[in-house]
Amino acid sequence: MKERARAFALVRHGVLIVWTLVVLFPIAWMVMTSFKDAGDWVSWPTRWVPFVDFEPTLLNYRQIFYFGGSTDTGALRREQTEQAYNIWKATFDSVVIVTISSVLALLLGSTLAYAISRFRTGGPNYPYTILTVRMLPPIVVAIPMLIYYASIPYFFEWLIGRRVEFFDTYYGLTLLYIATTLPYVIWMMLAFIDEVPRELERAARLMGASRLATLRLVVFPLVASGMMVTLLFVFILNWSEFLLALTLSQPKVLTLPVLLNKFQSAVEGRLYGPQAAIGTVVTIPVVIFGFLIQKHLVKGFSFGMIRR
Amino acid sequence: MSGVRLDSIVKRFGQLEAVQGVSLDIADGEFVVFVGPSGCGKTTTLNIIAGLELPTAGDVYIGSDRVTDWEPRDRNLGMVFQSLALFPHLTVFDNIGFPLRIKGVPATTLAERVRAVAATVKIDHLLTKKPSTLSGGEAQRVALARTIIVQPAVFLMDEPLSSLDAKLRVEMRTELKRLHASLGATFIYVTHDQAEAMTMADRIVVMNQGRVQQVGPPLAVYSDPANRFVAGFFGVPAMNFIEGELREEGAVLIFEAPALQLNLKPRGPVPPRPATLGIRPEHVRLTPESDGRGATVSLTEPLGDETLVFLDYGGPSSLVAKVSAEDKLAVGDRRGFTFRGDKIVFFDSAAGDRILR
Repeated sequence: MKERARAFALVRHGVLIVWTLVVLFPIAWMVMTSFKDAGDWVSWPTRWVPFVDFEPTLLNYRQIFYFGGSTDTGALRREQTEQAYNIWKATFDSVVIVTISSVLALLLGSTLAYAISRFRTGGPNYPYTILTVRMLPPIVVAIPMLIYYASIPYFFEWLIGRRVEFFDTYYGLTLLYIATTLPYVIWMMLAFIDEVPRELERAARLMGASRLATLRLVVFPLVASGMMVTLLFVFILNWSEFLLALTLSQPKVLTLPVLLNKFQSAVEGRLYGPQAAIGTVVTIPVVIFGFLIQKHLVKGFSFGMIRR
Repeated sequence: MSGVRLDSIVKRFGQLEAVQGVSLDIADGEFVVFVGPSGCGKTTTLNIIAGLELPTAGDVYIGSDRVTDWEPRDRNLGMVFQSLALFPHLTVFDNIGFPLRIKGVPATTLAERVRAVAATVKIDHLLTKKPSTLSGGEAQRVALARTIIVQPAVFLMDEPLSSLDAKLRVEMRTELKRLHASLGATFIYVTHDQAEAMTMADRIVVMNQGRVQQVGPPLAVYSDPANRFVAGFFGVPAMNFIEGELREEGAVLIFEAPALQLNLKPRGPVPPRPATLGIRPEHVRLTPESDGRGATVSLTEPLGDETLVFLDYGGPSSLVAKVSAEDKLAVGDRRGFTFRGDKIVFFDSAAGDRILR
């Protein structure tokens, strides 16, 4: 018996290790490429080992973090031939839009989920109705949205005599991200809020708390872990959203995924090195965020976290 | 301080009529216990008093105010819930101070009052703990302290002791009574436990199927039940019920049942009718067997101070008698039995109402 158990453990670990390698390979490849110079990106045979097969370089990173237009440093020799592809602008745009839209979606969605949980707002099938919004492929939404966004300035001109642009603006994309992630927030928060015992709220009400105070002092603190998990989830969704940003914003407002795409186009060629560097940089915030709220993740992912 | 008055309270949940016209006057400072089986409407009635449910019809008065449509927080009530409803994310201190914090009481006053209240219920050493680390009894005290701190005129308690073990429950019973005496506030307490009702109440309100069955002091409810439900609900073991016929012959009231005939003092005119006789086990006396009216002991349950004896007398079910533990009885023994005539009660066989009081 003991031997069989050991053999089983061996097989299990073997499978898991192989699978881990399969999963980690693209990330490792990306990080490795980000440290390779142009000649090593697609060389054959593949250059695997840093310092032996290829000389690691920070060139790609210097390029993407490059400030301003000065070209007198020799290290930036490729820079003249290519358009500006530093990531500062895109990072700023992404951080602003994704943070604001994720936090707003979380707050709106949590209060909406509370209303659905406690007052059965919209009837028993409402949560499912909400989710159907997400059943459409984004591309189906993107084109009509483009028409709306193109028409909105004219609508506002007619309404208030002034054009309000939604296309290629911060709030245009922010609103869109709030709208597209709200169903997820509502669904996730509904599961958490349903777990909060009603008696806690009744007790708070009897002690004089208004609905809003009850939400702020009792309900939201109790689902804080769930809110963190939801925030991370929505943040990742928005952080990596590509299609809507490509269709409805750029060139003035440019998020990181759209920027990444620019390195694989006919115009600018295939710049795998800088692209890999940006990919690495873009991944880091999500990982850090995940680590920061790890405590909440563990709690939040185990539903039914509240002791009754 | 104020009393509570319920005026023809009705509460419907869809088709279900949970409370069917409850009217009740609760005096200032009274300890009233609502008791009944689950689903009898007692908790709904309490929630209506609290304002957590709106009555479908009828009115609630607290003191001289008609509060039917007032918000719970405006009613000057304190409530202890069945689950205690302590906020798991707050410390004991913050739990007790919560109502004051909501009212915007300054931090220093708040701390003083929390400490004072914690001392009165003897939990001042627990203030920094979280509710999940407390024992059942400690959590109970925290819930009480949180209620006491706002000095409400009326305390509402919804089976607050149900989560405690038996020994602690008995202790807390005494403590709640003491608290009631020292605060002088009106207590309205809901339970399904007849022992809690008997031991704590000034007055018991017995409810069943949304209606008040009887209101009265514990001993009156016990010894003078208004109907068969009340008679059967109180007392462990339950009252003996025997189905039979009542009739009068001359100056004797006769109750006749299978294998049993009783000749009793008349209690007023009665036409022959079917009836249910009720007699509590402690009012069944065992005698040496005589003139054939005997019974066989089928089971004994010693309780320590007393012993329950199950008697087969030939009727459809056995008769339970509570006798002194010193009466040595064994299964199979034969005994005669008599009922204390003044303790016998009769109910209408169909409706269950008391007759011939």
